[in-house]
Amino acid sequence: MRLATRKKIITAAVAVFALAVLAVELYPIAITLLNGFRRDIVILSGQKLSLKQFTGASYALVFQNGQLMRAMRNSVIVGLLSTALSVGVGAMAAYGLTRFKFRGKNALAYSFLVFRMLPQMSLVVSLYLMFRTVGIRDTIFGITLAHSSFNVPYVIWMLIPFFTVVDKSYEEAAMVDGCSRWGMFRLIFLPLAAPGLVVAAVFAFINSWNEFLYALILTGVNARTAPVAISSLIGGDTLTWGQMCAASTIMLIPVFVFTLGMQKFLIRGVAAGGVKG
Amino acid sequence: MTFSRRRATSPSGNAASGNGTGSYGSPVPFLIPAFLIVFAVLIFPIVFSFVVSLFDWPLSAGGGTRRFVGAGNYVELVRDKEFWNSLRLQLGFIFIAIPIEIALGLGAALLLNREFRGGRVVRALILLPVFFLPIVSGMTWRFMLQPRYGALNNFLLSLGAPEITWLGHPTYAYAAVIVQDVWRMWPFVFMLLYAGLVGIPADILEAAEIDGATSTKRLTKIILPLLYPTILTALLLRIIDALRIFSEVYVMTEGGPGMATTLFSLYTHRQAFGYMKVGMSSAMAIFLLVISILFAVTLVRKNMSLEKLEEQGENR
Repeated sequence: MRLATRKKIITAAVAVFALAVLAVELYPIAITLLNGFRRDIVILSGQKLSLKQFTGASYALVFQNGQLMRAMRNSVIVGLLSTALSVGVGAMAAYGLTRFKFRGKNALAYSFLVFRMLPQMSLVVSLYLMFRTVGIRDTIFGITLAHSSFNVPYVIWMLIPFFTVVDKSYEEAAMVDGCSRWGMFRLIFLPLAAPGLVVAAVFAFINSWNEFLYALILTGVNARTAPVAISSLIGGDTLTWGQMCAASTIMLIPVFVFTLGMQKFLIRGVAAGGVKG
Repeated sequence: MTFSRRRATSPSGNAASGNGTGSYGSPVPFLIPAFLIVFAVLIFPIVFSFVVSLFDWPLSAGGGTRRFVGAGNYVELVRDKEFWNSLRLQLGFIFIAIPIEIALGLGAALLLNREFRGGRVVRALILLPVFFLPIVSGMTWRFMLQPRYGALNNFLLSLGAPEITWLGHPTYAYAAVIVQDVWRMWPFVFMLLYAGLVGIPADILEAAEIDGATSTKRLTKIILPLLYPTILTALLLRIIDALRIFSEVYVMTEGGPGMATTLFSLYTHRQAFGYMKVGMSSAMAIFLLVISILFAVTLVRKNMSLEKLEEQGENR
């Protein structure tokens, strides 16, 4: 009985401690969400938070800001294109790696994993020179291709465990019926592996959505994506914190919705190096 | 990395057996598109980067005059005080931030590994900072540390402390960059370690308890040894990640004041797009690449072999 009481007390203490930690962890996020609804003048004068200050003015400014809106549209387009490209190509490669026996298979899988972990800074300068020479700097195509450099290896990494568990007997039956390998992959395997494809696609989209460095270097006014546009709201003489927070909140919505909705796959998704700028 | 409770009992190899289609058709057509993309945007840029690093190569749009200097850029780097400064800041960042993150993550995982009301919600919400966009995190911290209207100064002023321009002071700015990273990434370590803890079979711990092992003994003799591979994975993932930190710091301090927060990637960036020395920048890029590959290969060999990935799928 005394042991039980002691356990209860410990559990209560842990719960209190957990709430305190949670407060610290969520404070900066709360600030961002709240300041999106306050005027710059209120923020810059350091006034205490009060309900009267709440206004949608910063959001209105964000929606009227043509450059920012264009950047957000670019972000969506680049995210979708890069996701489609990397899931398509990645699914094929993951299929090749899980369904075939061949020499050098492990080495190939290893190298894809290692590629995922290379620092973007090591690549961006030569990508800049290459893109400038070929003439695809500051184009949607160029930045999409650049995002595929991390998304293709990432998707392969994500899909291998999903693909391994797909039952092989359907493909074996199809083989007996004389179906081609490509037909097996497209008509039989992909529908069975659909849940994995969805998970990989969501994370690939978020990777692209959050990406900053490539967008900073490889795009200009035309193909600039939202993270770069948002970062330019602050700096020098422009201190539009309200707009920055409003735009950031808009950026955060899909990320938080997807990640909270994908609890089950978070660990694998993040450990693979996902959800990084 | 396997996080499943059923790890110990799962029937292994149900996918490996009956590999009747393994030699039917060729894998080459399936691998070629991925290979082409990887070649175009990874392998070729790496080789190109190495070539550029052997030249005195100005950034100017017309190409300027390029001059082959061999290892000249590397020699110049070794003589460059700012290069050593950025390396020192980078290593300091790794050696300070990551142990704190591991300690906090491990502590929280051990503490929260019990059932209490709202535990699930707490564990989910604690992860939100991990998914905070890095640049938004950088800017939010920059905002909180502003003099006059920043939250930290407001709080300190109300206590009667003097106002401090946090990001204008070399040491404080460096500390702020570290605090920002710890705030955002220790929940990531927590997430990995918590999953590892949950994966430890309960019967082992119960057996130890029945045999009279104290809670300290259970921690040091059972939990930590079983958790060790996961801790190592978390450590390696954090190091690989920390090696390439750029965007958060870039929007938070822009590497300043002076060079106080110009970590390795920020200095690489400055070499190319500030000083217009693409050759020097590429030499730094190659240096960082080699170090990153060493850590990545260690991680992949230890924890992410194809067999482990496949096993992870089967245990799900």
